[in-house]
Amino acid sequence: MAGLTDEIEPLKQAALADLKAAPDLAALEQIKGAWIGAHGKFTALMKQLGTLPKEEKPAAGKAVNAAKIELEAALAERRAQLELEAALPTEPTDFTLPGRRRTLGRLHPLTQVTEDIVRSFRKIGFAVADGPEVEDEYHCFDALNTPADHPARDTQDTFYVQGGTDSKLLLRTHTSSVQIRVMEKQPPPVRIIVPGRVYRRDNADATHNPTFQQVEGLYVDKGVTAADLKGTVEFVFKELMGDDVKIRFRPHYFSYTEPSFEIDFTSAMVKKMGKDWLEIAGCGMVHPQVFENVGYDPEVWTGWAFGFGIERIAMIRYGINDIRLFYENDVRFLRQF
Amino acid sequence: MKLTLNWLKQYVDFDWTPEVLAERLTMLGLEVEGVRKVTGEFEGIVVAQILTKDKVPGSDKLSVCKVNDGRGERTIICGAQNHNAGDKVPLILPNFALPLKPGEKEPFVVKERKVFGITSQGMMCSPQELGLPDKVNGLLILPADAPVGKSFAEYLNRAPGDVVYDLEITPNRPDWNSVIGIAREIAALTGKALRMPELRNPESEADSEEPVAVRIDDTGLCPRYTARVLKGVKVGPSPDWLRSMLEKVGIRSISNVVDVTNFVMLEIGQPLHAFDYHLIGRGKDGKPTLVVRRAAEGEKFRTLDGGERTLTHEMLLIADEQKGIALAGIMGGQNTEISSQTVDVLLESAHFKSTNIRRTSKTLGLRSESSYRFERGSDIGICDWASRRAAQLILETAGGRLAGGVVDVYPQPVAPRQITLRHRKVNELLGIQLRPEESEFYLGQLGLKSIGRKPKPVGAESPEVEPVTLQIPTFRVDLKREVDLIEEVARLHGVDKIPSTPPRGAIGSNPHDIVHDQIAEARRLLTGTGLNETQGQTLVSKAECGAQNAETVALANPLSSDMDVLRPSLLPGLLNILRHNVSRKNGDLALFEIGRVFGVATAESLRHTEERRVAIALSGQRDPLFWSGAERGTKFDIHDLKGLLEEFFEQFGMRGAVFNRRANSTGLFVESAAIQLGKLPIGELGQLQPALAKRCDLRDAVFLAELNLDQLLVRRATAKSFKPLPAFPSVRRDVAMLVPESTTHEVVLQTVKQVKPANLESVELFDVFRGQNVSAGQKSMAYAFTYRNPERTLTDAEVNAAHTKVVEAFKLQLKAAVRE
Repeated sequence: MAGLTDEIEPLKQAALADLKAAPDLAALEQIKGAWIGAHGKFTALMKQLGTLPKEEKPAAGKAVNAAKIELEAALAERRAQLELEAALPTEPTDFTLPGRRRTLGRLHPLTQVTEDIVRSFRKIGFAVADGPEVEDEYHCFDALNTPADHPARDTQDTFYVQGGTDSKLLLRTHTSSVQIRVMEKQPPPVRIIVPGRVYRRDNADATHNPTFQQVEGLYVDKGVTAADLKGTVEFVFKELMGDDVKIRFRPHYFSYTEPSFEIDFTSAMVKKMGKDWLEIAGCGMVHPQVFENVGYDPEVWTGWAFGFGIERIAMIRYGINDIRLFYENDVRFLRQF
Repeated sequence: MKLTLNWLKQYVDFDWTPEVLAERLTMLGLEVEGVRKVTGEFEGIVVAQILTKDKVPGSDKLSVCKVNDGRGERTIICGAQNHNAGDKVPLILPNFALPLKPGEKEPFVVKERKVFGITSQGMMCSPQELGLPDKVNGLLILPADAPVGKSFAEYLNRAPGDVVYDLEITPNRPDWNSVIGIAREIAALTGKALRMPELRNPESEADSEEPVAVRIDDTGLCPRYTARVLKGVKVGPSPDWLRSMLEKVGIRSISNVVDVTNFVMLEIGQPLHAFDYHLIGRGKDGKPTLVVRRAAEGEKFRTLDGGERTLTHEMLLIADEQKGIALAGIMGGQNTEISSQTVDVLLESAHFKSTNIRRTSKTLGLRSESSYRFERGSDIGICDWASRRAAQLILETAGGRLAGGVVDVYPQPVAPRQITLRHRKVNELLGIQLRPEESEFYLGQLGLKSIGRKPKPVGAESPEVEPVTLQIPTFRVDLKREVDLIEEVARLHGVDKIPSTPPRGAIGSNPHDIVHDQIAEARRLLTGTGLNETQGQTLVSKAECGAQNAETVALANPLSSDMDVLRPSLLPGLLNILRHNVSRKNGDLALFEIGRVFGVATAESLRHTEERRVAIALSGQRDPLFWSGAERGTKFDIHDLKGLLEEFFEQFGMRGAVFNRRANSTGLFVESAAIQLGKLPIGELGQLQPALAKRCDLRDAVFLAELNLDQLLVRRATAKSFKPLPAFPSVRRDVAMLVPESTTHEVVLQTVKQVKPANLESVELFDVFRGQNVSAGQKSMAYAFTYRNPERTLTDAEVNAAHTKVVEAFKLQLKAAVRE
């Protein structure tokens, strides 16, 4: 029965041609069934192997197996090809179309700036502290060496609050009140920053809002100097405003620090604004009277404090020209940050 | 405080440009808020002397001259013929403009230019070029005694140019509210001498008796009072120099006598007042008598500005025996005002207690240059000097003579303060290395006198220099303790010389530190759910808070009724933000705010309460605009808000929050639920009342939630532990059933819980349906039950046994029609 062995090759060729010509996956499955399925032509051929004489079986079996492997490979190849074709959309995708967005919300720009400030202070060992916004006169003024009738109180027009039973209550005019609250509770050393809302009785305009935000820094330890203050201020403002920032201290006056300084900074951006220096913060060495008020010995401990407005930093950083935008919360504004 | 460059130069020499002066003042702590140049006549023109005159090679008419301009030599090419070596001429320097001539639109600006290869550095001027009437053909040749280098304007007595500085004076330095005070700083900085004006006014011998009696009733409020009388003065307009000096610094010229008192106040910082001597009432002895006393309660007094003031017993008056004549330290009275009829003048130079002046000025709402200076603290030591200086200038400008018998009531002269400085403290505080001599030099420059050294502590081995004790001049009211001296050293040494040392030292700690991070975490989770963060006003209007019926903390001195209370909730502010956005066509809003709200004091907490909250608002379309899909344009509903809260709670570690529907509408919500942890209320959510939405012009439904963040912070559980992933497969069984509308999801879950089916892993609701094929009052609910055993594969029989119990319970207890 030499005929059987001779049939393998033509059958295989016919099957290969069929597989190659299969127009789609369904047709391919049919063709597969017609050739190598349970009742397929090629399967039928394999079944006839048993009828061969014993000595012909090995050679014929080998040939059939080889052909079957070839057919299966061809089937897999054609299938992969057709699957790929099937996956392609009928029309090519327009990748310029806008995608289906899952929007994330944004943090308010003041939050973002505050977080940046907090992050840079924390790098150098500061902890965040907090205190009440409705304050008493003692913590907001007296303990900070600003007694009643002191002209320094003039510069801060204060909102007073009705009611309450202890001393006259007010909305804190600066975060410095938290200095006192922390030092009253905690023995030195102290290393804190205090971001928070403060209030001044100013009508809202492009540069004023009755509510605004400050960050206060306080560091009390043995052997703290004005040079440390400068070093820290420089570090923080470089972190916040860029490496090319230069800092300048100018003598100034605050009742709770002595000596007191105002801090100006400059950078390529400041020059672009047509200015030499921009005033950015106030600072100084904690006044010994303040230490005495909270029961720290000024002979043992020295320290410095500084404070600045968060809106001002945000306005400079983003080029915002009106402070009221922060509190209107127009989503077209919020989505820019 | 305004002053001018030329005025300053009367007391101290310096040759800084106006810009350098501004910089130096700023770095001394005198912030320059404005600089204004006042153009003078003949700017840039000086008296110069011709040294040599030669012919310009190649030209017939031109000469080349070497000229001395007072600072150095210049080469000038000149076309005139009438000049010779040795002549003095007006020379205009390059880049300055000749006076504008009639018919000219732009003045001619002289520039350096090359003529026949020689650079001409300026121009010698003819009278025509200067607009002067002299008829000369050629240069204006000046008299031989004209001083070389002098400005031509000064030489001709014309108004020179000047620079007006506007300085911000910090409240600790009242001594800077005077030109001499600022000159003193410059002298200290440069080491040049301070030139005080010379006083020369011998008192008239004629009347040795005091022309006035002064009685101080309250020496606490008025520790010193001096009076001088000038007789026979002629009140009239001020001379030009005085008028123009005052006008440059923004003070209106009134008359010579009044202008002098203002001038001296600006010069030395001591406010003065001039009374018409004859309008002061006389005492029993017939002599004019001044009484410094507290006003009677309700006493009326008409000040110079015409206003009638009602005084209190806390206010200090200068009076005669009958009536008040001046509100001490603040403003004189109309009844004794200097007028053109005034012949004799009484000059007051006194010292008043700063806090009293401040209080009176504030209470009356009356401020003056005088009150401004007194309330910041004036120099008690300068009263007499200022009085003499003013007397001298009045004599010079208004004539008359000084009556003898000066009154100076100063019962308890103030001893100058003494402060001891330990040199090591300077370096310890400033972080610099300064030698003791340097510190003492700086302090000496400021007029502090060293009056001795304390010996070193006995047995002290330290190389420390002995502390020095310094006497503080009376004008430095701000110097009170050692640290104040250290600041002075820092200023004069230059704060720019303080090095900057890198951060070092203790690690800070504070209980709030962790809270800050937790709040930041809450914010980030909320932005992750798609909400934008807002920051609203703390101050809101009471009217806006009405819907919530909350008691509000009111401001005692609000700016307006728009902002008269502290927010009792974040929601009114959030509604304002919604309104703002919708009115600007931003209708699709998903917002949150984290902030503080304020509650009134209660019996338990004597202080007003402060509480952190989270508020959320949703309105408009849920998803961003997209061009395909069935869900397009879907609006937010209450389930979006609830789902958002659930996700937030889970991620934030809040377990066990329940949402209890309120049976009735509230002022704020048409429908709402209280959010509780057990019995503890932690917030609410709901849909805004349509009437309120309308009031805020909000068109789409608005969904609001507010949570007590402080409670969340306390209750949250952030500990996490790993559960092994399941190793065996799960089996799912679905149940679809019809139940009465009143059957809540919660009731279904409770039923399942009671049955406790074996191996039940989870129950999930996947459909709620009403309408078609569902009769009214009923709804269809479909649940997926997942069964799993962690240790083996479940058999169908096991699952069916468990699940059948659930289905039976639904039928029995929920009256459910289960679709099988």
